[in-house]
Amino acid sequence: MSIEVSGGIRGLTDPVIAAQILAAIPDKPLETQRKMNYFMTPRGKRINEYEVLCCYTQPTPDWIPGGLDWGDWTQKFHGGRPSWSNESTEMRSSDWLKHRDPAFRWHALYVKDKAEEWRYTDRFLKAYSADGMVRSMDPVWRDEVLGDYLGAFGFSEYGLFNSHSSVVRDCLGDTLRMSSAMIGLDKVDNAQMIQMERTFLAKLVPGFPESTDIPKNEWTKGTIFKGSREIVQKIWQETYDWNEILFSGHMIYDPLFGQFVRREFFSRLSSYYGDTLTPFFINQMQLYFSQTKGITTDMFHTCLAADVQFGTYNKRLMHVWADKWMPGTITALKDFMAIFAKLPEIKGVTDKSAIESALNRVFDDWKHDFADPIGYKVDTATLIKTVLSGLK
Amino acid sequence: MAISAATKAATDALAVNRAPVSVGAQEVHRWMQSFTWDFEKNRTKYSTKYKMANDTKEQFKLIAKEYARMESVKDERQFGSLQDVLTRVDAANRVHPKWNESMKVISNFLEVGEYNAIAATGMLWDSATAPEQKNGYLGQVLDEIRHTNQCGYINYYFAKQGQDAAGHNDARRTRAIGPLWKGMKRVFSDGFISGDAVECSINLQLVGEACFTNPLIVAVTEWASANGDEMTPTVFLSIETDELRHMANGYQTVVSIANDEASSKYLNTDLNNAFWTQQKYFTPVLGMMFEYGSHFKVEPWVKTWNRWVYEDWGGIWIGRLGKYGVQSPASLRDAKKDAYWAHHDLFLIAYALWPTGFFRLTLPTAEEAEWYETNYPGWYDMYGKVYEEWRARGCEDPNSGFLPLQWFIENNHPIYIDRVSQVPFCPSYCKGASNLRVLEYNGKKHSFSDQWGERMWLSEPERYECQNIWEQYEGRELSEVIAEGHGVRSDGKTLISQPHTNKDGKLWTLDDIKKIGCVFADPLKAL
Repeated sequence: MSIEVSGGIRGLTDPVIAAQILAAIPDKPLETQRKMNYFMTPRGKRINEYEVLCCYTQPTPDWIPGGLDWGDWTQKFHGGRPSWSNESTEMRSSDWLKHRDPAFRWHALYVKDKAEEWRYTDRFLKAYSADGMVRSMDPVWRDEVLGDYLGAFGFSEYGLFNSHSSVVRDCLGDTLRMSSAMIGLDKVDNAQMIQMERTFLAKLVPGFPESTDIPKNEWTKGTIFKGSREIVQKIWQETYDWNEILFSGHMIYDPLFGQFVRREFFSRLSSYYGDTLTPFFINQMQLYFSQTKGITTDMFHTCLAADVQFGTYNKRLMHVWADKWMPGTITALKDFMAIFAKLPEIKGVTDKSAIESALNRVFDDWKHDFADPIGYKVDTATLIKTVLSGLK
Repeated sequence: MAISAATKAATDALAVNRAPVSVGAQEVHRWMQSFTWDFEKNRTKYSTKYKMANDTKEQFKLIAKEYARMESVKDERQFGSLQDVLTRVDAANRVHPKWNESMKVISNFLEVGEYNAIAATGMLWDSATAPEQKNGYLGQVLDEIRHTNQCGYINYYFAKQGQDAAGHNDARRTRAIGPLWKGMKRVFSDGFISGDAVECSINLQLVGEACFTNPLIVAVTEWASANGDEMTPTVFLSIETDELRHMANGYQTVVSIANDEASSKYLNTDLNNAFWTQQKYFTPVLGMMFEYGSHFKVEPWVKTWNRWVYEDWGGIWIGRLGKYGVQSPASLRDAKKDAYWAHHDLFLIAYALWPTGFFRLTLPTAEEAEWYETNYPGWYDMYGKVYEEWRARGCEDPNSGFLPLQWFIENNHPIYIDRVSQVPFCPSYCKGASNLRVLEYNGKKHSFSDQWGERMWLSEPERYECQNIWEQYEGRELSEVIAEGHGVRSDGKTLISQPHTNKDGKLWTLDDIKKIGCVFADPLKAL
């Protein structure tokens, strides 16, 4: 037969071609090492599928620690700046490819989870609406707090989402690049879920404003989110060091301000105002927060702070960055305290002692999970006192 | 607690209609454009000479969760096929050995492009000002992660289940040894991420994806299938379903800058440079992988090239952008000449340098030689008789002591490397359009093979000064270089690369190479 085949003939199923192929195949495999990436050091006992599919996809030369390639970049920026360089961050590492998502999520696993969340969201919203659960929601909470302030918080999530773009471009590791894109997508998902809740309420409650106009006005001109807006803008557009972007956003601002707003304000209070809808969305955001925490603490604690060569220096730098980003975060929280004056008061829930307890939970968690592992000394009581001074 | 009028209305509405209500993705997406806000320092970190419009829309209008649903469905089909039916029929061991080797290169090199596209679209996400446009680029960031994982999965699958795991199992480490790697980095790595953000988009989306992914990801599946490989079509066609959105992103990039008067000054030059950059590598390399990396042929590469690159892209796709001032690249005419002979020229060099690969290469058989001569008249006189000479001198046999590279040296045919594209060429023995140009800069000599690359160099030499493999390896003995680059199998001595795929043929070892005493020399030093 001719060696030119056409018309969609398949070598696997065409008997004549298949026979020729089988005759050419070695009688036994030529290589016994069948494990892809067998040369790498796995995080666990064995190389897992995530490590096979993600590790060493980054084609950096060996002068960027961890790289397997050699030589220079084949094309550079105008003026000769390199494609990727150690100078893009003040952090130092002996292996930029060391990071692992603790959940070992490669793309297929990541989208599978989120697709399930989407299907479940659809089912939940249908059940919620058919059951008329919106009837029990406090109208002030619904119209002002959810309509205006939850909507405004969506801009904080959207701004943080955008802060990941330059991290995805500039960071020096393959697994970190993938993790950063995923936690960025989670942030825009949060912003979209907030708008989804507002659109849903507009369908159920005639007159509820679906538009983003009022929340955006609150975000850009109001006082409750002023500090938050200013720090988000700095993280997004004024910070060029990709490690500092991740550190300021995910190790300082979001574990303090984001956690308080999501967990201690919207999630904790919603049930008191007859709102069983908001916790559904906040719980998804909290899942993303938890997964993100796993990723960023792996990067900053497990990889950078524990780096044998640069760990001491890196921890010092993290302390400097924490000093730099804490005041803005505290101001954001202090500004946010004014929201409590907008609520119908519930004793033991929205009064000062309850708020102080909530702040204690957030700051204690932060100290335990983020500050202590890098030896960062912090007087949380003083910080909480400063925040509480924002109560009206 | 008093019930507001709105709550009463909600209660009344429920009394009339108790049908379940949800929220669709489009109902959320329509608010996307309002998600951003103006502030003093809201600008990109990656400068561009173009101005991207604030109100640019995207075509696919996905939100995060809907994106995940769509991709997850595709993943289920794809991985279901791979892990179920294809494994049960032992499909990886029913692939022609020549094609098994080609997929070591194709899948890994495409992985490099996909990986770098993550960073490239991150830069575009940063550069765009319109939230919808950012959202389109974000979707592509996630797609590129998907494709990186998918390409890796091909090598993973072949390594785990196929006939020769070496090269599949360590391509990310051994790919850097040989002469094809630096050129790959130029087109699929640095060309996507280093430069003006819009220029990078033109490289990635307007040329790389809209032009060359058609042969690279679609046409390749026909060649794979003809040679018994059903894994590659399963994965690559799933990748291609995402590429449509990426082409739309490239289209929208042009739309976003179309109203800026300055665009007309730069756009066609940037497009021409991007097209030449991409075609300089892909035209010969894809043609070589298809025709020389297969046993069963689908059609001559020049026909595939004409259909996908010249007519579909250069005519229809660029034609659609004509209303925005986009013109077909001036270099398209020269590229068309390359499509006929350049892959034959490159295979001659690639085979001569076979020990530096991470795959096995095969000389054309008699029936393949006949096919080449039929489709490329004049092929035998230029290439066929050289391969006959090499075969007669025992180039496949480790006991022969003959490497085809020696033939080039004996016949005074130095192999140079084009500084801008990093593609090797032999100006004294080729049928393609290559001709040697040498320039001095920063105390070094630099070789070029065409006017288009030379022009890019002359305007911005600092962007393309990367050392080539001759400079890197100069003075070093070949077996040392291979060992250092981990180019051996798990027995520690047999080379991953081989000059044949004959199942009864002997395999070369490091010692066989060492006995020959081949030492790298930089041909520019002799000028």
